[in-house]
Amino acid sequence: MEKHIERVMDDIISSPNVFGCVFVDHQGLCLGVKGDASNESAGIIGAIADQAAKLEPQSQPPIIVMEDDTKSCIIHRNGTVTGAIYKTN
Amino acid sequence: MAEEIRKILEQLLNSISGLYCILISDRDGVPIIMVQNDKAPELAMKPAFLSTFGLAIDRGSKLGLGKPKTLICSYSQYQVIQMNKLPLIVTFIASDCCNTGYILCLETQLEPILSNLTLVVTET
Repeated sequence: MEKHIERVMDDIISSPNVFGCVFVDHQGLCLGVKGDASNESAGIIGAIADQAAKLEPQSQPPIIVMEDDTKSCIIHRNGTVTGAIYKTN
Repeated sequence: MAEEIRKILEQLLNSISGLYCILISDRDGVPIIMVQNDKAPELAMKPAFLSTFGLAIDRGSKLGLGKPKTLICSYSQYQVIQMNKLPLIVTFIASDCCNTGYILCLETQLEPILSNLTLVVTET
């Protein structure tokens, strides 16, 4: 399982402008982290995905994008796994 | 000071849905400060339960991986997260579906409170 998630994270991190990614399980525990990202943000990423999903409970889980002048963070939940990708604009 | 700490803990308690209780105790499980809501299970807040953490970390340190920092016990209806901040023990009691990772993130926010309380405990 680790090998699979490692491969996925390697693929993500090799994409242009991407400098980090975190994967979180349904309990907010870190499944994997790569690049310039912290496993300590795992719980918060899970909580953000939970709260955003409550806005439209009937719809599919939303894609959340937070951005500042230079960087952005994209969060998306798929089933029990939530992924966050950090990239430069 | 106690009121200020209680206020901060109450804010933290209300910020996480499914979190029922934050309890700071000494190594014997005697509660020093506690905030809770009405869903918190009585049994998990008693010294008899809280003090088992001390035994658990003693046993855990014999595994050769260093001193345990956190203990997460997952039950059918509740989860209990205890942090090793000796001479203090921080206990979080939450529902089984509560975001465990988010509770673990509170550690950094509790650090200033704990440093104040540690001074008090070591002086007495």
